[in-house]
Amino acid sequence: MSFEPITGRYLTVSVEGAPRRIYVEEAGQGRPVLCLHTAGADTRQWRHLMNDAAVTASNRLIAFDMPWHGKSLPPEGFETQEYLLTTEAYIDTVLAVIDGMGLDKPVLAGCSMGGRIALQLAALHPEKFSGFIAIEASDFQPAWYDIDWFHRPDAHGGEMGAALVSANISPFAPEVERWNTLWMFMQSGPGVFRGDLSFYTKDDSLIARLGQIDTAQTPVHVIVGAYDLTCTPEDAERTARAIPGATLAVMDELGHFPMSEHPEGFRPFFLDALAKMPVATAQAA
Amino acid sequence: MIETFTHIQSQLDASPHLLRLGRLFSETVLIEVDGDEYYLTFDKGRIVQVMQGPSRKTPWRFALRTDAAALSEFWQPRPAPGFHDVFGFVKIGRGRIDGDILCLVKNLRFFKEVLGLARSKQEQAA
Repeated sequence: MSFEPITGRYLTVSVEGAPRRIYVEEAGQGRPVLCLHTAGADTRQWRHLMNDAAVTASNRLIAFDMPWHGKSLPPEGFETQEYLLTTEAYIDTVLAVIDGMGLDKPVLAGCSMGGRIALQLAALHPEKFSGFIAIEASDFQPAWYDIDWFHRPDAHGGEMGAALVSANISPFAPEVERWNTLWMFMQSGPGVFRGDLSFYTKDDSLIARLGQIDTAQTPVHVIVGAYDLTCTPEDAERTARAIPGATLAVMDELGHFPMSEHPEGFRPFFLDALAKMPVATAQAA
Repeated sequence: MIETFTHIQSQLDASPHLLRLGRLFSETVLIEVDGDEYYLTFDKGRIVQVMQGPSRKTPWRFALRTDAAALSEFWQPRPAPGFHDVFGFVKIGRGRIDGDILCLVKNLRFFKEVLGLARSKQEQAA
């Protein structure tokens, strides 16, 4: 028996003027790479890469559960609040974790809504990062479903959410990882997936900001799976085209949760993405 | 096509986990394939009747309208993108879902896995 190299700790930071107790996992050493999970899920989506010695030999992978997600508690008074994630709160949270952990210009790797906020940060706060890996990320994605389906008293939002997002998982994904990926959605707290989708499907402010991203200072690499019905290759290509200098990779056999649903299939694309990012020591010199 | 749906019916009878998932599902679903109607009537998760239309007097809760080529691709072991999920049909313009969509969403895992039961049939035939 042996423990995995992933360690988890809790960090309390201030977001929008109130404390948030954030669960943070990390593995590896070297260049910091901050990893953001998708809507309705948590850090477990990054478990395979954090256990990949070839990745962690020279990269310190850090992932955290957004407030309301995974092992991060919702804020005090949540019982009377409607959770609706906003671009501003999401940005505040990511920056608070970076400051709280004292990270020096990490690479930011985000998937889905994490990819969306990575591009927002590339436009608005590039000085905090060394580069961006935007996975299943697009400029804007209106809902092709009713987000209110996923938070109602007469049905289980997690089970419905999992059944919906299964549409975004590739048939090439190993069954065990398909179901591990869906389990996170099934476990999601009431209204959390809906609140994430509110951010993802209603805020189109990124569209006008893409052109101001300076990839000469902070490279942007976009990765998309062919089986992603939510952020299709066409969506990702349109987004990458709008960012001068951005690069794009299309994964023919993967879907919307590549690092979780099919780790072996995603691995070469992530290694390639990391190779496109500045090395931390060179950045500091 | 009717044979495929009766095959799904017998596969479902032999799938305890799906019968458990669908234990509260007692509805009639219309599957329209190239304009031909097939009514699947469920009772507590079992398909108790597969009826070919047309029928103007059979009420249904929700309907999936698509074409035979799309379903044939859906039933491949590894369908092409868009054909791998019933919502993909809608996304790529090869299908439409009508009726009580909330009822479908509440039973979405069950319905998608029931429809996917024909996939194993093709694998066995291959």
